[in-house]
Amino acid sequence: MASINAYILIYCDSALCKSNVFSGSYCCSGYIVAYILCTVVRLITTSTLTQGLERIPDQLGYLVISEDGVLASAGELENDEHTAGVIMQMMRTACRFRLQGAAEPPFKRMSVMLEDYVYTVTVSGQKVFVVKRQNNHREPVVV
Amino acid sequence: ISNVLTASTLELHLDDTMKNPAIIGVLCTDQQGHILGCRGSLSDEHGGVVSVLARQVASLTKDPTDSPTVCLESDSGNILVRAHGTITVAVHKMSS
Repeated sequence: MASINAYILIYCDSALCKSNVFSGSYCCSGYIVAYILCTVVRLITTSTLTQGLERIPDQLGYLVISEDGVLASAGELENDEHTAGVIMQMMRTACRFRLQGAAEPPFKRMSVMLEDYVYTVTVSGQKVFVVKRQNNHREPVVV
Repeated sequence: ISNVLTASTLELHLDDTMKNPAIIGVLCTDQQGHILGCRGSLSDEHGGVVSVLARQVASLTKDPTDSPTVCLESDSGNILVRAHGTITVAVHKMSS
């Protein structure tokens, strides 16, 4: 997005903008075009992220969270900033867990199991993905 | 584990838990993160994180009878954390 803004600024600095007649309106248009392009890119990126989450079986809702805040939410987790905040706190705590001097955090996925549902949490590309799923209680099978 | 459990009974329970071949570590803490007992891969240094996780997860549910279980999953094993009253228990199990 920064590179798109930079491109527009460079364009505006070209011979066209150096003319006093055109500089004001073209520069304003340039910034508006940059903003629209950035918004479109962000929407496409978010849609790509959430497409897969929509298809998870038994999913009741999801959150996609970055350090800046909630990027996407849906279903029972739509606009649920409280859950997003608690999950992020838990991820920061859990990442401090180290087993016998290991350098890496000892988990790839965190699950929070409640009576009726489960939150499954993972991190990818500096984003935290949270999916709320139905908890289908499975009894242990004796063999 | 009951609030009136004695330290020696807790130690016996921890030893019994470790007899399960799938379990490679177990730990109990109080609400402040002080270790009440531990075995195997889980030790004193893990008490703080375990008790804080249990405290944080409690705010995910409004039902006081619903005690959530937190599971940290990896290829080498799972660490399960759950609060029972004022005591938090963590178990490190091999992946099945």
